[in-house]
Amino acid sequence: MNGDDRSGRPSALGPLPDIGDFGIDTISLAGTLPAKLDAARRGGFSQIMLSARDLVSHPEGYEAAVDAVRSSGLRVTGFQVLRDFEGLSGHLHDYKVDVAKSMLTMCDAIGAKVLLACSSTSTHATSDADALARDLHKLAMLAVPFGVDVAYEALSWGRAVNEFTKAWDIVCRADAPNLGLGLDSYHLFAKETSLDELESIDPAKIFLVQLADFMWQEVRTAEERIATARHFRVFPGEGVHSVQLADAVKRLARMGYGGDYSFEVFNDDYQQMPPDIVVARARRAAIWLAEDVLRRALPLPNQMRLRRPGSG
Amino acid sequence: MQLPDRESIAPAGNPLGLDGIEFVEYATSKPQALGHVLEMMGFRAIARHRSREVLLYRQGDMNVVVNAHGERGANAERPSEATYISAIALRTRNAAAAYRYVLDRGAWAVATHAEVMELNIPGIHGAGASRIYFVDRYRDFSIYDVDFVRNPGVDRHPAALAGLHWFGIVQYVGTDRTADWTEFYTKLFAFTVLPDEQRYGILPKGRILRSPGGAFYLQLIEPVEGTYEVEPNETLQRVGLGTPDVLQTTKALRERGVEFIESRDVHSETRGALTQGYLGSVMFELVHDER
Repeated sequence: MNGDDRSGRPSALGPLPDIGDFGIDTISLAGTLPAKLDAARRGGFSQIMLSARDLVSHPEGYEAAVDAVRSSGLRVTGFQVLRDFEGLSGHLHDYKVDVAKSMLTMCDAIGAKVLLACSSTSTHATSDADALARDLHKLAMLAVPFGVDVAYEALSWGRAVNEFTKAWDIVCRADAPNLGLGLDSYHLFAKETSLDELESIDPAKIFLVQLADFMWQEVRTAEERIATARHFRVFPGEGVHSVQLADAVKRLARMGYGGDYSFEVFNDDYQQMPPDIVVARARRAAIWLAEDVLRRALPLPNQMRLRRPGSG
Repeated sequence: MQLPDRESIAPAGNPLGLDGIEFVEYATSKPQALGHVLEMMGFRAIARHRSREVLLYRQGDMNVVVNAHGERGANAERPSEATYISAIALRTRNAAAAYRYVLDRGAWAVATHAEVMELNIPGIHGAGASRIYFVDRYRDFSIYDVDFVRNPGVDRHPAALAGLHWFGIVQYVGTDRTADWTEFYTKLFAFTVLPDEQRYGILPKGRILRSPGGAFYLQLIEPVEGTYEVEPNETLQRVGLGTPDVLQTTKALRERGVEFIESRDVHSETRGALTQGYLGSVMFELVHDER
C-alpha cells in the first residue's frame, strides 16, 4: 500500500521524506506507456495514475499494455477518464453505460481500484440533481463486482456540476459507499472555490486528489479554463497558486484525508521533453509537499489509511 | 403512453417479487466426485441436461445443478479444477421484469447460450465468477422439464433429509467491500440488513442480509486482517442449509459419511454445524431454522 523501496533510503541530505502517497499521472508524460512506467519508477514514484488512452495506444496492443502495468511493480492510483456519463437518457444513456463497462473491465485488467468520472459537459444531459445522482449510483453499482470505487470530479467547465461543492451534493444524494469525490486542485483554483468548503466534506469520501497548478491568476471563461487545463498546467510549486495549493493539502491532511495525491499536469512543453526530466519536476513537487508543506520529517513506517465507515 | 408495469403491483419492499432460491449451481470438472458429496448430504440425482454435461440433484425443495460443461464464468484466473458455486437462481414473480429492474440499476447482463428449444434464463454477474439467475416458472411448471431428461426410475421429488431446506449463501467479499455489496443487494434486490445482534448458526462473522419476504439470507464476510498476503477473490463460498434439529441432522449425515468440523472454535451444537471441505472448498453449513 505504501511506497516501499525509497522510504528510509539515505540521501546526502539525510532521510528522504515519505512520498509514497504521491503519484505521477501518465498524461503528464510524453512517450509510450513502458517509457512512462520506467520513468516514474526511476524517478522514485511507487504509483501511477493511468489513462485509458495509454493502454489502447500501446504499440504492441492492449494486452501488452496490461502486462506492462502489471509487471511494472507500480501501484495503480486510479484509472481515467469516464466522461459525460451522467444525466443522459434513452440510447445516449445506454451507450455511456457500455462505455463505462469497458472502462471498468480495463480497471479490472490493470488492478485499478479507482475510476475517475468527470462531471458532464454534454448539452444533451439534464441538470436535474436527482437524475445525475441516480446515474452515478448506477455507475457505482456497475463497479461493485470489480471492487472499484468511483471518484466523481467536477470539471470547472462542467455543465451542471462545475465545482466540488456541487459534485459533493450529487455524491451525497446518490449515497453509494463506493461513490466518492475526486478533487482536482486545478478546477478549484480555476473556479476560485473557497477552500473553506472542504470542511463540509467527509474525508473518507474523497477517493482521489489530483494536484496541478497553472501560471496565471485568473481564468474567467469556460473556454479559458479548458485551454489552460489542457495545455498550461504545471506541477505544484511551479505555478502562481502555491500558497493556496499548500493550504489545500494541509487542510486535507488535517481533515484526515488518507488517500493518494496524483500530479495531473497537462502541459504542451512537458509533452516535448524526455519523461525523466518531467518526472524529476514531479518528484521535486512531491518533496516540496511532503517536506515543506506537510513537514514529514521522517518516513512513516506504515502509512495509515482510513477504513471506510460502515464496512466490516 | 405508460404501459402497465408489473413492478407497480409489487408488494411493498419486494420489487422483484423474490420468493427464495430455485437452484444453486456448482461448476466442477469432477461431477462424479461432487455428486458423491451431494448424495452424502441427502441429494439425489434426478435428471441430466439434454445438450450439456449438466446434472440436476434434488432433495425436498432444494435443487442443485452440477455444471461440468466448462462454462467457467468471467474469472479466467480460477484454476479449472476448482469446484465452486457458480450461480444462484432466484425465484421471482416475473423474471423478465426482475432482470430489467436490476439492469436499470447497474447490474451486468450475462450473455446466455440457450440451444434450440432450451430455456433462456436471464442472469447477471454476481460476486467473482458467479451469476445470479431469475426464474419465474416454479409453481405449476418446472424449468427442468424443458432442459433436462429425467433419470429413469428415480423419484422426482425425494423428501428432504431431516427437514433440510435452503437457509442462505455465504459470500466472501474483499476488504472494506461489505458496504458496497450491501448497497448492491439492498438497492437492486431490496434485501435488508439484519441488526448485528441477530445471528444464526455458529459462525457469527460479517453482515447478514435478509431477502425480502425472508425466504433466505446472505452473509457477507471480509477476509480476516493479516491472514492473506494477496487479497482473496470474492466468491460465493458455501451454502447454508436450515434444519429444525441440527444435532439430529448431523447424526443422520454422519451416518451417511459426512464429516463435520469439530475444533475449539467451530463445532457442532444446537445452533449450527459446519461440514469439512470437500473437493477443496465445497462445504455446507447447517443452521437451526424451524421452517
